Amino acid sequence: MNQNEMKQIISDAAAKAGINEYELYFEEAQGTDVTIFEREVKEFSSEEVAGVCFRCLTGNNIGYASTELFTEDELAALPARALENAKLIESGDAQPFYKAGDTYRPVVLQSRSPLASSSDYIHTAMEAQEAAYAADDRITTGTETSCGGVRKKIWLFNSNGLDFSADYGYDVLVSGPVARDGEESTDGMTFAYGKLSELDAKNIAKTAVSRAVSKLHAKQQTSGQMPVVFSGEQMCTILSAFLSVFSADAAQKGLSLLSGKENETIASPCVTLIDDPFYKDSPVQMSFDAEGVATFTKPVIENGVLKTLLHNRKTAQKAGVASTANGAKHSYADAVSISPYCFYLQPGDASFDTLIDGIESGVYITALKGLHAGANAITGDFSIDSEGFTIENGKLGGAVRSFTVAGNFFDLLKNIRGFDNAFYLDYPSGVTVLGSADALVDGLTIAGK
Amino acid sequence: MIQRELLTEALHTAMSSGADFAEIYAERTKTNQVSMIDRRVEQVTDALLSGVGIRVFKGLRCVNASTTDLTRSGLIACAKRVADALGEGKEEVSIHLNERRFGDIHPIRIVPATALKQVKIDLVKEASDAAFAQGDRISQVAATLLDVDHEILIANSDGLLTSDRQIRTRMAVQAVASKPGENQTGSCSPGRRMGLELFEMIPPRSIGEKAACQALTMLDAEYCKAGTKTVAIENGFGGVIFHEACGHSLEATSVAINASQFAGKLGQQIANEKVTAVDDGTIPNAWGSINIDDEGTPSARNVLIENGILKSYMIDKLNGRRMGMAPTGNSRRQGYSFAPTSRMTNTFIENGPDKNEDIIASIEDGLYAKQMGGGSVNPLTGAFNFAVTEGYIIRNGKICEPVRGASLVGNGKEILMNIDMVGQNLETAQGMCGSSSGSIPTDVGQPLIRVSSITVGGR
Repeated sequence: MNQNEMKQIISDAAAKAGINEYELYFEEAQGTDVTIFEREVKEFSSEEVAGVCFRCLTGNNIGYASTELFTEDELAALPARALENAKLIESGDAQPFYKAGDTYRPVVLQSRSPLASSSDYIHTAMEAQEAAYAADDRITTGTETSCGGVRKKIWLFNSNGLDFSADYGYDVLVSGPVARDGEESTDGMTFAYGKLSELDAKNIAKTAVSRAVSKLHAKQQTSGQMPVVFSGEQMCTILSAFLSVFSADAAQKGLSLLSGKENETIASPCVTLIDDPFYKDSPVQMSFDAEGVATFTKPVIENGVLKTLLHNRKTAQKAGVASTANGAKHSYADAVSISPYCFYLQPGDASFDTLIDGIESGVYITALKGLHAGANAITGDFSIDSEGFTIENGKLGGAVRSFTVAGNFFDLLKNIRGFDNAFYLDYPSGVTVLGSADALVDGLTIAGK
Repeated sequence: MIQRELLTEALHTAMSSGADFAEIYAERTKTNQVSMIDRRVEQVTDALLSGVGIRVFKGLRCVNASTTDLTRSGLIACAKRVADALGEGKEEVSIHLNERRFGDIHPIRIVPATALKQVKIDLVKEASDAAFAQGDRISQVAATLLDVDHEILIANSDGLLTSDRQIRTRMAVQAVASKPGENQTGSCSPGRRMGLELFEMIPPRSIGEKAACQALTMLDAEYCKAGTKTVAIENGFGGVIFHEACGHSLEATSVAINASQFAGKLGQQIANEKVTAVDDGTIPNAWGSINIDDEGTPSARNVLIENGILKSYMIDKLNGRRMGMAPTGNSRRQGYSFAPTSRMTNTFIENGPDKNEDIIASIEDGLYAKQMGGGSVNPLTGAFNFAVTEGYIIRNGKICEPVRGASLVGNGKEILMNIDMVGQNLETAQGMCGSSSGSIPTDVGQPLIRVSSITVGGR
């Protein structure tokens, strides 16, 4: 069934149900993924899925219903289902669907070509797998490499005249070597994304192997308060756990301690946090949000000062400001929530060596685990399982493991002493791509032996 | 969901390039959700997930593809994608699908889809109101009722054709307690493989009260001090320690490729002799229970560890081939777009020989972990972690003041040996477990246990 047929069936059904104001949000995804184990293809998967969500407005309420079954009956049933749901809502603060005639800035994407052939993905994965084994004698069984791509298409149509679509896609290579020395095993997962033909399989595998090998013979970290340097990757991990504190929706519901802190200093002067839907190296760029509002680049924190929270249309109306075009749907079936796009902490000028130069005794954290439980965005508290390397007399030392780093996110923002220039861009999650360089932080507690 | 003739045709197409096994998994899942925040109904959503996953094996190679296009041409195209990806070869099998029903040991009295949505809203309101009623310092309550009607059909080239209908209901309440500049949270989220009769057994009021009381207790608590301690971990969600420290590492997903610290250890002592642990998907109406797994193998009660000795892994068909072992009824997937792999169902440590009061009395200076949050593990290294959401100091054998912000980290191999006392109040609790085949409902459980030494993360 094509989009026009689908639109027609749903529009007819909406008219029959007496619904004048509605929106269709259609999402189509294609994906390929291949996993190499030892020297063979262990698993190959291919996905072609689609779903549509119908929202309608009645009074001040919006109701949702969605389906993945594209039969005439199921599509025609959506309006009545959504209307029934709308009538039960009590928050009653919905507005008419968007139509404001925005100008939409075009996106320049890295990879918009169709998925590559399965043999191309297999070839690249195999090349990385071979390179991993060749890089070090201690690389052993358990080592896997996967390679694949995703392509997504979003189409938004509403009864107020909005009708447009966006697509994005990228290929990804993940090298997961296992290093073994005696009884001890370590891993070193490393990924890269972009256009398949531009992924440097050998180099990615080499980086992954050096990560795995560098973790062998890790010692137990000692306890105490000490300076901590988080790798750019782990700064992204922390940011992802506390992302909701920047949401105006969370703030308005009393679930973010940044509520009412706009234009106050909430972070150290070296902290600038930017939301950029068009960031050049991001594989996901969007010119409109899930409500059809034109996106734009803005600082959320500038030199330590909170400039704005992230808004969708509903929270903006409540706060009496304009939407920041951060209306988002994690999946097509979800209600509109709030997400940033490429959301990054601005890097500094210094090299890594300069950043750690003055640290007499500290720790460089390169892995954090279990943040879904160990970090609480409502309180800001965290106590997280960590791995990394010691820092002694301004130099990187040996590997350490099995310790926790504990503190509070709002204190951490104030205690960031600086960033180096090694910028890292994380793996996309929906439309969100986080970024940060290595960061030096004071005032955290390390618990080890 | 799909006609037998079409299933047979699609299986043949999938095998046309020389696969030695093919399987079709079809799913139709209706989810309904009612959410309240700030004492008002904010969201009522319903969604229909519908799709098919087709898999083939050739030796140890596996190819799978998924689609939401359930027309004949859509299914055959999906099967063809699978065959093409496998490569060159010829089909040499004949397929005769025989329908087999394995029975349903999880009776449902009030099917949620048959209840008025207003009835569900009233249940959520009862929980939300009860939480707010715990005092002025409760500043926010978010309460959600989720019901899922998950119908699956499995057909494979061995001739199996079977289906199951899994109805699950869960309420989740999160309460926030506040004082100036500070928030603390409490949560409670029971669920079962049953209908709305769940709330006759567990009144929504009690769920709201429990979440609010936890938030209030934590608001007055000091930060837990970091260090290595003796810890008593309470029953119910305390079982997350076994789930992370050992359960994941006994899944064939990592064992089969030698990426688990417990690979090759069958018959060896891997835990303290007081530890007997079980994965049991056959408990009537339990959250993690299944009649059949997502490959159509009947669920079972599998003893994983008996008196400290490793007895069994959890095994799916594909990894079973690699290991030369039979499937154990543990193959699970979130839905059609995920390839299944070995996963837990209801996994718990059995009651042991120690009296609960003796466990607390035995600790001079330690931590009593009453409520736990989730955790995670790296099966390769065994490094695991989980959060303590409600903890208390134990001093001279007595439970004293509450502490916040603690987490526990360790290595599975070491910590299993350190479980040196096992009490007698076995209870389970519900979680959503995330891994390569998606997010699935699982129960964790245990009686009160003592871990003689573990790293406590705190301030």
